[in-house]
Formats: sequence, C-alpha cells, structure tokens
Amino acid sequence: MTGLEIGLLSVVVILVLIYSGMYVPVALGLVSFVSVWYLRGSLEAPVYLLTIAASSGLEDYIYGVIPLFVLMGLLVSQCELGRDIYEVSNYLLRKVKGGLGVATVAANTAFAAITGVSIASASVFARVSVPEMVRFGYNPRFAVGVVAGSSVLGMLIPPSVMLIIYAIITELSVADMFKAGIVPGLILAAIYIVAIVSAAVFFPNYIGGQSNSDGAPELVQKDLSGAEIARKIAPFIILILLVLGGIYGGLFTPTEAGAVGAMGALIISLIKRKLNRPVLWKVLSETGHIVASLLLLIIAATMYSRMLAISGLPNELGAWIATTDLSFIGILTIYVILLVIMGTILDTTSIILIMVPLFLPVMAPYDISLIWFGIITIFGAEIGLLTPPLGISCYVIKTTLDDDSISLYDIFAGAFPFAVLMLLVLILLIAYPGISLVFV
Amino acid sequence: MTDQELAHTPNVFEHWVFGLNGIGTLWIFLIMLLINTDVLLRFLFNTPIDGVTEIVEVSIAGIVFLQLADAIRAGRLTRSDGLFNKIKESKPMLGQWMSIFFDVCGALFFIAILTGAVPTFIESYERNYFAGSEGVFTVPIWPIRLILCISCVTVIGVFIIKVISQIRTIGSFPSAGGAL
Repeated sequence: MTGLEIGLLSVVVILVLIYSGMYVPVALGLVSFVSVWYLRGSLEAPVYLLTIAASSGLEDYIYGVIPLFVLMGLLVSQCELGRDIYEVSNYLLRKVKGGLGVATVAANTAFAAITGVSIASASVFARVSVPEMVRFGYNPRFAVGVVAGSSVLGMLIPPSVMLIIYAIITELSVADMFKAGIVPGLILAAIYIVAIVSAAVFFPNYIGGQSNSDGAPELVQKDLSGAEIARKIAPFIILILLVLGGIYGGLFTPTEAGAVGAMGALIISLIKRKLNRPVLWKVLSETGHIVASLLLLIIAATMYSRMLAISGLPNELGAWIATTDLSFIGILTIYVILLVIMGTILDTTSIILIMVPLFLPVMAPYDISLIWFGIITIFGAEIGLLTPPLGISCYVIKTTLDDDSISLYDIFAGAFPFAVLMLLVLILLIAYPGISLVFV
Repeated sequence: MTDQELAHTPNVFEHWVFGLNGIGTLWIFLIMLLINTDVLLRFLFNTPIDGVTEIVEVSIAGIVFLQLADAIRAGRLTRSDGLFNKIKESKPMLGQWMSIFFDVCGALFFIAILTGAVPTFIESYERNYFAGSEGVFTVPIWPIRLILCISCVTVIGVFIIKVISQIRTIGSFPSAGGAL
C-alpha cells in the first residue's frame, strides 16, 4: 500500500474505533503508531516519535497554561459566582421582555470571561437559572435551550481552554487566540439576546412567562441595592482585570495570568467561605483528572499529526482538491459540515485535534489567517455540543437538572434554535473574516 | 463501572494509584503558588525568582503522568460512548468483549510509550541532562523521565486489572444474555 492509502485507512480506522467507543487518545495514538511502523518498516521510528511526544514534547512553558486555567474555572464554578451574576442580570433586566432568558445569556457571557470550560457553564446555569425560569412560568423547553445555547459562549470568550489548545497545536500565540474569540463570542451573545427578545414579543407562547396580563401573581424578584450589586459584580471585575487585563496590559504571560487568576479565584472562594480543605483537594484532584486526559489527548494527537505528515495524506488531499472544481468556499463548507457532524458524537478538543492537522495543509495555499481558521473550527465543533445524538452540553444539563419532567428530547429541542443561530453566526464569521481579527 | 471493577484490585495497588494522584495534585498547587510568588516579587521588589519558567516546563509532564493512572481508573479518558452504551444494553456479551478489547489496546498503547521511555530515562540519568541554561538555573530531567516510566507501568497495571475483572464477570454472566 502507498503512504497515501495507509494514511487514509488510518483516519478511517481511527474514526470507526472512536465511534464504537474506544478511548480517543488510545485510538489516535495506537493506530498512528502502527501506521508509522508499517510506513517506515521498523519499530524505531514510531517509538522515537511517541517518546518525544510524551516527554520532551510536553516540556514547554505554554502547557502550564492549561492546568492553571482549568483550576481557576473549577474554583470559580464552586463559589456560586454564577448565581450572583445571574441575580444581578435578572434585577437589571427585569423590565425587558423575556428578561430571565436574556439574563441567562448575559450572565453566561460574564461567566465565560472568568472560566474556560463550556461544561462548567452548562452545569452551573442548569442549576441556577432553569429552576428560576420555570418558577416564573417560562416554557421549560425554552429554559433549558437558553442554558445549553449560551453555555458554548464559555469556549469562545477568553479565557478558553479550546482557544489555548488550538493555539498550542498550531503554534500561535495564546494571547492572539484569546483576542480573536472576544468579538465572535459577543456577537453570538447579542444575536441570542435579540432572538430571545423578538421571540418574547412575537411568539410569547414559545417563551412563556409573560402572563402578567391574565392576572397571574406578579412574582416578586429579589430587590438588590446598589451595594449588593457592587458586591456581587466585584469578583468578576477583579478576575477579568487580573487575567485579561494582565495579559493585554503586558504584565503577565498567559501562564502567569492563569496562575494569578487561579489564586484570585481561590482567595474569592475563601472570602465567600465556599472553600475548605476537602473541597480544595477535590477541586485540585478534579483539575488533575481533566488536565491528564486533555494532555494525553494532545500527546496522542501529536503522534497522529506526525503519522499524517509521514503518510503525505494532507498534501495529497490538498492536491486532489485543487484538481476538482471546488471553490474555497466549497471546501470550507465541506469542512464545516464535517465539524458539525463530528461534534454530534465527539468532544470539541478531540475534533480540533483530529481535523486541524488534516485540513490545515489543505487550506494553506489559500492564504488564510490561521487565527480565523481556529475560530471557525471551534465554532463549528461547538455547534455539535447542542445537537443529538450526543451533544455534550445537553447531557450535562440533563444530568445536573435531575428532573424527570424535562426529558433529553426537550433539551435537544430547546437547544435547536440556538444551534441554528450559531450556524448563522458561523456563516457571518466565514463571510467576514475581519470580525475575528478585530483585535489581533 | 470502574469503581466496581476496582473492588477486585488489591488495596496496595489502589493506594499506590491514589498516592501518585495526590503528589500530582499537591504539585499543581505548589506551581500555582510558585508563579504567584514570582509575579509578586517581580512587581514589589523587582526580584523575580530564577528558574520558574524551567520548573513549570518540566513540572507539567510530571503532574500529568502522576495523575494519569487515577484519571484512567476513574474512567476519565475521553471517549464517545453513545453507540457503545447502546451495544452494551442490547448485546451485553458483545459490549463486554469490546470493552475488554479497548482496555487491552489501552495497555498496548502504554507499553509502546514505555518502550521508548525506559531508554530515554537511562540516557538522561547517565548523561545528566538538564533543562534551563547552565550557570543561570538548571533542573535535572531524569526525575521527570522516571515519573513517565513509573506512570506507564502503573497505567498498564490499571488496564490489566480492568481486563482481568471483566473476564471474571463474563464467566459469571447468565448464559441467556450471552445468546443475544
């Protein structure tokens, strides 16, 4: 078999194994190992590549950024900052139609600026804002949909672990990737808000909760004084200033910003009395588990991208695509469709690590911005978080809610409009690459 | 699922896995403190700590590999289990064998890593490799390479225990289920 055939076969085998439930890093790493062994005709090459990937490959200062931001995110998630910002948003938006829905999006946007993990947002807001919306008579399906839809903001608005991982594998600057995520994230949030308010005006039955006219009891929202609002918002302002301010003010490297942010979150949880030794230990250990599985994935993906390079598949793929009449937009469309399909069964990190090494060489001749390409990739893969059969955000919400009256089907149905909105924004980002590059 | 499987694990091994995880956990915390101290000293007294960058560089691999075995034990390796769970429901026997196959592959992958890791460790020890620049700050590399080897052996152990305990359950399967 030629290198090309081996490469192609490997990708197919990897996808089949992953789909049937094999651990993603094992499937990526082991198949790539065997392919390189076959291609090179000796064990020496694959053993060498794998050793590099698992040892000196990890010895880069930039990898420190991952555990520190994960730690910060977990600390922030368990000290009820999500609830605080949600209460403030509710209060400030109490006059707006669909206010609780809008507040969920707004609170998620703020929360995204201090955490880097979508799953964290999904579980925090499933607990905080779904019961609140249901209490005020909102349609449960809409309530879970808003939470699922806005949880993806966590991956776009910096700090974000996805932006970090993409920056690492493409050797871009983490600070640049962070900047590129801001505007697309804010646009998505704005579009969600516009959609929710217009739906509340034009299809009030879909949203629910607007029943004041028919004499339904005016449920009392908690009144917040200025001081309370300030106290609830202060941690956000401090953390955002420390982390993003620190990076862009040129004070910190991203790794330092992660450490300072984690320390800030630690101090805030101590002040709020949400932290004792067992909780801290649990958070640290959970951080370790997340980071260990993320970095093992990166090790395996390094092996996989070496295997691809040796097989010559990406270049051949590019050459082959050049002979077809596909336009650049055509290729990009196929790429996005693949991302969305993969997103329905896989997590975003795995998708990025599988797709980027395969498609980057294909895209290279078109003189694109790698930063923009990263935003498109993350956005496309995140759409899958909202779609069946395996949209992870929806599963997390289902598990966190633990409410039999809201089925998984309801959550997927509720999230669907938001997935469509994401797709629209993605098209916008593709059409106007400048949007992602405003600050870069 | 994994916790039940570990009920068969000898306690010593379990403690070993928890212990490695504990060291890694503590290590992350220390790194966070170290970087913060460095940043603070730099701003307040303009006296950064030498070698923080180098220590962070070598630490990440150490932390990851110390915690990997426990992460795997706890079932935290990334996987897409939608189809797999359906198979386990409708054809438990097939599901069980697939699960065994996945764990065997896991062990094989780490044997592959170990094959290269052992000579790398020996080399870094004998030749005294270090990170950083000489005269300023240096950390020896071999302890990290040793952790990698130890971790691989432990992970292989975790996978083998998973396989063994699953083969045992197959023996006790009601044969009617197996007929599916």
